[in-house]
Amino acid sequence: MPRDKKQIRIFPFNRVEGDLKVHLEIEDGVVRDAWCAGSMYRGFENILKGRGPLDGLVITPRICGICTTAHLTAAARALDMACGVRVPGNALRVRNAALLAEMIQNDVRHAVQLFMADFTRPGYGDHPLHGEARRRYEPMKGTSALQAVSESRSLLEIIAILGGQWPHSSFMVPGGVVCLPSANDISQCRHLARHYRRWYEERVLGCSLERWSEVTSRAALKEWLAASGAHRKSELGFFIRFARTAGLHKIGGGRGHFIGFGGLVIPKDSEAAALGRDGELFPPGFYQDGEAVPLDQQRITEAIDCSWFAGYRAPRHPFEGMTRPYATGNENRQYTWAKAPRYDGLPAETGPLAQMLLAGDPLLTELIREEGPSVFARQLARIVRSSRTLPALETWLRELSRRQGLFYNDAPPLEQGRGFGLVEAPRGALGHWVVIENGAIQSYQVITPTTWNASPRDRQGARGPMEEALVGTPVRDPDDPLEAELVVRSFDPCLVCTVH
Amino acid sequence: MTLSLYWLQCGGCGGDTWSLFNARAPHLYELFGMLDIELLWHPSVSVLSLKEQDRLLADLMSGERPLDVLCIEGSVIRGPGGTGMYDEAYGRPKKDLVAALAKMARHIVAVGACASFGGIGADGEIEATGVQYHKWDKGGFLGPDFETLSGTPVINLPGCPCHCDVVTGVLSQLAAGGAMEMGDYGMPLEWYGMMVHQGCTRNEYHEYRVEEKRFGEKGCMFFYLGCHGPLVRGPCNKILWNGRSSKTRVGVPCFGCTRPDFPQQYPFFKTRNIEGIPIDLPDGVGRAHYLAYKGMAAAAAPQRLKKRKTGI
Repeated sequence: MPRDKKQIRIFPFNRVEGDLKVHLEIEDGVVRDAWCAGSMYRGFENILKGRGPLDGLVITPRICGICTTAHLTAAARALDMACGVRVPGNALRVRNAALLAEMIQNDVRHAVQLFMADFTRPGYGDHPLHGEARRRYEPMKGTSALQAVSESRSLLEIIAILGGQWPHSSFMVPGGVVCLPSANDISQCRHLARHYRRWYEERVLGCSLERWSEVTSRAALKEWLAASGAHRKSELGFFIRFARTAGLHKIGGGRGHFIGFGGLVIPKDSEAAALGRDGELFPPGFYQDGEAVPLDQQRITEAIDCSWFAGYRAPRHPFEGMTRPYATGNENRQYTWAKAPRYDGLPAETGPLAQMLLAGDPLLTELIREEGPSVFARQLARIVRSSRTLPALETWLRELSRRQGLFYNDAPPLEQGRGFGLVEAPRGALGHWVVIENGAIQSYQVITPTTWNASPRDRQGARGPMEEALVGTPVRDPDDPLEAELVVRSFDPCLVCTVH
Repeated sequence: MTLSLYWLQCGGCGGDTWSLFNARAPHLYELFGMLDIELLWHPSVSVLSLKEQDRLLADLMSGERPLDVLCIEGSVIRGPGGTGMYDEAYGRPKKDLVAALAKMARHIVAVGACASFGGIGADGEIEATGVQYHKWDKGGFLGPDFETLSGTPVINLPGCPCHCDVVTGVLSQLAAGGAMEMGDYGMPLEWYGMMVHQGCTRNEYHEYRVEEKRFGEKGCMFFYLGCHGPLVRGPCNKILWNGRSSKTRVGVPCFGCTRPDFPQQYPFFKTRNIEGIPIDLPDGVGRAHYLAYKGMAAAAAPQRLKKRKTGI
């Protein structure tokens, strides 16, 4: 029987951040191979060279318009280390609160505005819930889309109160934060967080956080869904019903290696200690075959064999990293502006699912053990992550309201030094590595979450996580490769970050 | 009358888009409805299939579909060596797409610092430039003499990012067909006719030269901490960010992100000065007068300011 083989290219890839190009090889209606590419290069790492030692605090947030606070945090933590300065507990609380507000807005925007918009497309015209999906998620009109725009916007006011504006502020500095939030400022932040939590419980979960915390297994999830109309009608409930019927738990698997950087440091004597583990809200680590091992950042390297870069051959740790663009204008072995990050030589997926697995979330752990990773698991993790982050946000704001004390410790002038800042950004593991010499930046290397996820192949030919997840995806209509797009969108790709 | 709008992202971070989503009362989608704006394409919103996207672009380029407003976010990337291949779309440099769409537009709005003046990549290897300015010089990508189909130059809305109210304000004006009074560098006077520090809650400290050398204090940041508030134009402290505050109010120096040469080539968080007086003085102020004024101001400073006992 003659085989039906087709090459297709998805570009521009809408509802992802930045310019992503995906090349698929489809045979008999199934993706046989995939290549993910970032098609724009901006050269941030080289722009930073020679600049003032603190300039990463201003320049790097501008790598990304939606996880700008995460870049600021990574930059500040790298400089904390380079300066050897201790950050006061209050400053940690302010940093964490801002980082969480950004993460929470990203989760709902991605789920409702960017991801579930796909449920409205003609390709799902025969899905029994298509009509309801259109009423909810049609861009600019759907009832849920409109609510998500309002609620995510108002939550971000917390960052403006603490840091002046969102996006693109620089209120974190080595030694703490520059702001001195007043009692009134903190009350306002607490009201905004409380308001968001109420909406999240009512409309996104359809139940209280306490009730959701009882859902610790697949059986409990089934029982939860059946238990009430509010559960079924919520964004989460609707997502589960639509996704299971559409078979999204069967596509987008991948290799099952995960990485997370943690980085939400719990201040000493904070009540949030009960919400996290070992002093961090989410533990950093590498997860493979159901086992988590502690993270050792020295095992991180970046390869450039298949990227449009030159200058070195063997993969390098970011402290020895180099960014020398080499535009061939061709797509042969080299096909993207993204480098290929590896942990112990292995590609790794990062994001909310990785974070939940590393934190030992019982529901997702069981789900991955029984079904393997999938589009469904990734989106489920993203939608329910706020059930863990909202209580921490509220705890830190509450603690700020009753605490006196410092928000900033003097950092010495920075003539020499090196440091790294690892944080969990909305899309996963984000790292900055900075080297300062003679009072100027000598080297600055950034590895973003989507650099991990949208990584190209390496020297051994191992695909990046998104590429690997695409292989095996059935595509009903190659002219409208909806299923492949959903696999990619389940990683919430951010290409402006990836290529920086 | 319906206004068709195409939003093109080039060499940027998407921050102007997410800033635009900060619009409130009404929020963005409500506002588009009220202004009768038909959003033909926005990369973060559209659900068009690949075929529909291709058809839309073809129809716009042939003139089949009129393009009332072209919003461009991010710089035009020309590197390496003028090829533009650091930013590729459809196998060609994206700058070709900018040129093709620009020809068909009735109005072009450059949203943000990068699109206006080149921004972050203007001094980098990507050879970034603004749509019709390169830093202080008119020209940029489309050239100094370029005019849209309606006979107007590119409207520049700098800022990193641009404030949502500036974008929605300009779109409202265009929808109403009203004229906009333009200031320097293609920027509408309405939003770029005031200095950033106008409305800053630290202004009284500035007035009496109560200046900070350390982060995390309440006074003015102009003399030592690199604040550009009195030097550059923008409405940050009038319309406030996210409806709440501003960088300078919470203690972050203004980095001058609306100025054509943003980002500056000297270090942030530090004021360049001669004997304690900033080299760059407030816009239009003479050095001799400024020295005399600041000397007297410091002498006149009240205790409540020196002790930072003002509740701000």
